[in-house]
Amino acid sequence: MKDVFEAPPQMPLRPAAQVMRLSRMGSMFPTRLSFLRSLIRRLAEERATVTREVWEICTDGFGHAVFSLRLGGHTYSLVAVATDLPEEMRSDRVIATAWDSAFVLFDGIPDAEDIARITANAPLQEAGRFGARDLILSRANKSVRLFAHVVEALRRGRQPEVAMIRDIGYLMRTTAVYGNGKFGIADRATYDMRPGLEGPFAAEMLTVWLIRHFTHALAEHVGQGPLDPVLKRHLGIGNSTGLGMAPFLVTHPVLLNNWMMARETALARVRAIPALTPQQAVQLAALGARAAAHLAQWRVPSAAHQARIETLETDWRAARGLLRPEALTGDTPLDGVLHETEQMSADVQELMAALLIEPFGDLVDGLADCMSDPFGAFAPPLCDTDAVRAQMLASFGWALEPDYTAPEECGQFWYVSQAKMEPRLGLRFEEDGAALESPLDIARRVSAAFADLPAEPEPVSDFLRRHPDHALAVERVGLSARYPYAEIRDNLIAETCLPVDMLRCKLSFFGASKFDPKSDRWTRITLCQGAPLAEELGAPEVDDWWLPVFPA
Amino acid sequence: MVAGVPCVTCSANEVSGLAAKAARGAGAPPAQATQFGAAAALHLGVGRAVDCLDAALAALPGGPIITLPLAIARIAETAQGAPARGDVSGAKADLLKSYLAVLPYDARLEVGLENGGTILLDPMRPAARPPVVRLDLDQQTYTAWSALAARILVPESEASRRAGAGAGTSDND
Repeated sequence: MKDVFEAPPQMPLRPAAQVMRLSRMGSMFPTRLSFLRSLIRRLAEERATVTREVWEICTDGFGHAVFSLRLGGHTYSLVAVATDLPEEMRSDRVIATAWDSAFVLFDGIPDAEDIARITANAPLQEAGRFGARDLILSRANKSVRLFAHVVEALRRGRQPEVAMIRDIGYLMRTTAVYGNGKFGIADRATYDMRPGLEGPFAAEMLTVWLIRHFTHALAEHVGQGPLDPVLKRHLGIGNSTGLGMAPFLVTHPVLLNNWMMARETALARVRAIPALTPQQAVQLAALGARAAAHLAQWRVPSAAHQARIETLETDWRAARGLLRPEALTGDTPLDGVLHETEQMSADVQELMAALLIEPFGDLVDGLADCMSDPFGAFAPPLCDTDAVRAQMLASFGWALEPDYTAPEECGQFWYVSQAKMEPRLGLRFEEDGAALESPLDIARRVSAAFADLPAEPEPVSDFLRRHPDHALAVERVGLSARYPYAEIRDNLIAETCLPVDMLRCKLSFFGASKFDPKSDRWTRITLCQGAPLAEELGAPEVDDWWLPVFPA
Repeated sequence: MVAGVPCVTCSANEVSGLAAKAARGAGAPPAQATQFGAAAALHLGVGRAVDCLDAALAALPGGPIITLPLAIARIAETAQGAPARGDVSGAKADLLKSYLAVLPYDARLEVGLENGGTILLDPMRPAARPPVVRLDLDQQTYTAWSALAARILVPESEASRRAGAGAGTSDND
């Protein structure tokens, strides 16, 4: 007898023309499919326990420590190195050369020799050299204000001020989390078939969650007292992210497709639910209230972004009305809710989309298994140039519209900086370097290839022999037939392109909340806020931490 | 790896990235450079000689980095839903094998010749994932490829420093 998988019923997916616009991607919220959520569920299923293998930290908080856990039959260890960083050297910028703490996620339990090697190399970060058992490399800076306050309070036998915990939300901020072979660490392909690490960025998320655990232990050690578990749970791990992360979404089209496809399929499935149970209706209303409380606690220094949050707060009051239990009694009620929000802002729509998925883990959690890309891009070649043209018109019509010679449509260019070998975004008409532009201008490339297509069909290889520069465009067009969500449907070199929207999309898939943009090119976020502590992984409500709200 | 020659032990992804950037620095368009990077990491990972990779880079803006993908694509275009066979020339058989091994669909070299060979491919049949192997890149190659890769890096200017990544002068809190 054959097992036949029957996919649950679903509504039509939201079209890529709507979902893949950059401004909408910049409105995304974390969901229960976000990578941190999936990882924590896995850790909880396995009742993973974190053990402190080494603690060589002085009373001032400097030294090294090792924490280990088992996941999927393998042991992983976080090696943490805390150094005494002079104030003037502390910077979140990628150009920094020293950090408060450095970390390696190690495959197994490190011996003394491994620890000596890692403690020597990890603080050097990009200037260090790493090996096959080093899976992830990271570093973090303290939130000096909160760390000092927590330590001082604990030393006085008190708990830290609730308001400071609520407003800052983390003891340290990571400024890079490197994976997949960088600086000699392990290739992702060497461990991405292991149970628990199959998901995208799973090893990175495990590292971040363990770093958070370390920051709690460090503060309690220096403060010589235990933190209240409620406060501790609200202390996540900060992250500061800039342009380095942005090109990933363009250079990994299949991954982007798979992430978006899973999320959109989840939404399509819940929209197809014919009727809700009373408990589900109550839960949705409670989540609506939680979202409102979360928005009220989401405070940022940027006046423009704070105004956007406050507008969302106001709009959410109306949107929440759609989640009253008495309003959820008709047929396919969640489809109705989403339709009702279509007249509202993209921020409201994306918050509602994330919320609607939340109570239905049984229906959607399996989709997390489809979010990685273990096999690479696979698209049968297009047969001739007419097929290329037809596919361009079907999937890239948006890219054929702009006039890329107009300054506003090509005012920016992506490049890699010589100083730090990191992606940057320059102003084409004010800065040198456009001749060395990175190929993130997919829209312009497709438009240029379209213009050169011959009137009469010919083999694609003949076309590319005459126009080798169009190979990337043709490749992306070929992928679009199979991967509808693979492309950001915007001109990424236009003056109006805001890289921070790309960051928010990617970080929301990580599970980030409390976006705190510092410019249109970098943002701070909080990860793991509200996530279970290591000792809470066996608790019954371990997965209930979407949009965490400080309980005070 | 040559005995007695100092080496840098690299991840496959590092080698792939470095080779791709070297190809771009030497004049390859982005898609062809990426294909070369993937083929180069596999090529060295399975112990094939670095010489034909260096020769391919030296031949840019022409040579196999440009012509090999076209020759393979040409045969794939004739497949029309079934396996297809064809001859490829202009590249050493070892390099051809490395290119075939990183294709997303099934492909293999049936008959290898000094300057190419006969290949069999099935564009409708996804390939198994190629092996990922750490490898020792000799210092001379590492240095030469890094120099090529550096050609696509943009030096800092006063304007770029001003724009930077958008951060302020102090990032502490």
